Amino acid sequence: MDLAFIWTTFLRLIAALQVTLSVWALSVFFGAFIAAGVTWMRGSGIKPAEWIARAYIFVFRGAPLLVQLFVVYYGLSSFPLVRASVFWPFLRDAFNCATLSCALCTAAYQSEIFRGALAGVPHGQVEAARACGMSGFLLFRRVIFPIALRQALPAYSTEVISMVKATALVSLVTLWDVMSVALKIRNDTLVTYTPLLIAGAIYFVVNYLIARAFIFIEQWLSPHLRARSA
Amino acid sequence: MTALGFGERGWGPALLYGAVMTVLVSIAGLAIGAALGSLVAWAKLSGVRIAAAIGGGYAAIFRGLPELLVVYFVYFGSSATLTGLDHLLGGEGFLGVPGFAAGALAVGVISGSYQAEVFRGAFLAIAKGELEAARAVGMGRWLMFRRIIGPQVLRFALPGLGNLWQVALKDSSLISVTGLAELMRTSQVAAGSTHQPFTFYVAGGALYLAITSISDRVFEFAEARATRGMRREAH
Amino acid sequence: MPESESDSYALTVSGLHKRFGSLEVLKGVSLLAREGDVISILGSSGSGKSTLLRCINLLETPDEGVVTVAGETILMRKTRDGRSAPADRRQVDRIRSELGMVFQNFNLWSHMTILDNLIEAPIHVQKRPRAECVEEARALLDKVGIGDKANFYPTHLSGGQQQRAAIARALAMRPKVMLFDEPTSALDPELVGEVLRVMRSLADEGRTMLIVTHEMGFARDVSDRIIFLHQGLVEDEGPPAELFSNSKSERFRQFIANERT
Repeated sequence: MDLAFIWTTFLRLIAALQVTLSVWALSVFFGAFIAAGVTWMRGSGIKPAEWIARAYIFVFRGAPLLVQLFVVYYGLSSFPLVRASVFWPFLRDAFNCATLSCALCTAAYQSEIFRGALAGVPHGQVEAARACGMSGFLLFRRVIFPIALRQALPAYSTEVISMVKATALVSLVTLWDVMSVALKIRNDTLVTYTPLLIAGAIYFVVNYLIARAFIFIEQWLSPHLRARSA
Repeated sequence: MTALGFGERGWGPALLYGAVMTVLVSIAGLAIGAALGSLVAWAKLSGVRIAAAIGGGYAAIFRGLPELLVVYFVYFGSSATLTGLDHLLGGEGFLGVPGFAAGALAVGVISGSYQAEVFRGAFLAIAKGELEAARAVGMGRWLMFRRIIGPQVLRFALPGLGNLWQVALKDSSLISVTGLAELMRTSQVAAGSTHQPFTFYVAGGALYLAITSISDRVFEFAEARATRGMRREAH
Repeated sequence: MPESESDSYALTVSGLHKRFGSLEVLKGVSLLAREGDVISILGSSGSGKSTLLRCINLLETPDEGVVTVAGETILMRKTRDGRSAPADRRQVDRIRSELGMVFQNFNLWSHMTILDNLIEAPIHVQKRPRAECVEEARALLDKVGIGDKANFYPTHLSGGQQQRAAIARALAMRPKVMLFDEPTSALDPELVGEVLRVMRSLADEGRTMLIVTHEMGFARDVSDRIIFLHQGLVEDEGPPAELFSNSKSERFRQFIANERT
């Protein structure tokens, strides 16, 4: 039980947590916007837009994230056209590529969550709002979105946690996240279990905290679902 | 865009072989997951608190860990254990667990934690009345399981299992880090060898999508067959 | 002096036709409602009663026909594929805000308290000041008998309470005409009475009400006029006393005989 080793390993992994969480937060955040756009296209009624949205979802949900990461990081950079383009300063950086790829991937999953949540809004409540003269953005903002948001929370929290786990893959495109630092420690010291176990514990705690945060948000937003404390 | 196709004279056969390997290791993983999952579901349904706690703990742990970490852990860990055992018996050097076994085990252990919920939900969905009727007719527990519970659980679990199959397929791409010649690894080798990463990663992706599509059809067919005769809810 | 005949009416509907696919549900229905009229619309399922009501506030779009609310006619146009559509969305929203609708399934907004449900449209659609809306809302809740439930959520209320809240929500819009779409059909029998009581008091106040209902007794006692719909057409109409004792329609007599059992 080399406590000193455990402690230094722990510190090094916590330092790498910054990379993990950055990739995670940025990809979930931007992914949400992409997802909103895709969801809109999917439900727009405009055939070409619908088709593109469905193809997008099929590809980015159907192919493994690892393939997507490699296509963006290794694949795109192999084109002289890309290297000469205005995007290159952005794309040559591994962090940017990885975050972009993760964002595109989570957007496909988030889009399906949004779609399900919107479909789950009780039609009667939407009708009642229309019958009062609400329409357009007002209707969306005051009735459809709040109800859909509450419906989406459980599935959304699952997806957000999945993304934390998915970020471990960026270790395979040269980023120094928790996963790659743990592997490096293993390779340097030939100690297998300790770095992996500590890394696992760190991921586990992060996921647990996120899950608790979502439960808190769900409860805060849903007083109407709790039993009345009268 | 180079005009280099990857047809028969190139990497085509290797990629297809990789695809087959991917399907095989995913099936193996799913099967292990099914075994673990039904065990955990049974533990949770049994009412025995310790069993339920252990089952719940296993599920919670593996749902909170990155899949890649589990793959490394199972691969390095099992190899380290095997090597250790070998050294105990007087051997030298490094014994590696084959990538297929380690990979299937890793995928299975993760899948099992989700399959547990699918099976548990499927069991709970069986109408209590049907079980009572079986008991009333005098069916023994094993017979009841074989003829009533088993088939019904499978029927209700199919949608969830279809979903988890897709997950297992994608998780299997992570087994590439063990060197197993499945689709992801093969794409990687081909990309490196030909210096055409885009072509081969896209091709690999396309093959994954093809497997996904075919699987979808298979599961649709299976669900249709399994639910024939079941009453549809009135709309 | 009314400028045109429809000016003196709170609501006029003429020649309403509505098709769903190949099924024609309304085949030319007309009705006139003066201010203060309480009109019950009766008919068996499939007769088109709900569709008629929903065409008035354009929750369904009539294929043909004209709807005029308080003298304002809803403008319609034909789309490229020949179907009917409202010509002016803003007019539709405005007219809807002058009509109060009460639904069979209450349709209270589940994420808002009862009070919030009542003030939502007055504030955001009618743009009235919040303080005024809250005050009026509280008064309405007292009036329908659930003043103490203002801060409760709909799921915490019984069906009868929810429907009374829904009525209060419609009243909060200060509507010119109230539309009731089978308001008690989704309620347990013991809860029907409290809702009918509220509706009766509204009728006594002189509100203009159109009620689609199966409650024969209520229809007979409270309405000024009854309209009997059969397969998309008005089979008979008139004051309840006349209709219930002396209808010229064999089908209507059959209908009330069936409903009684």
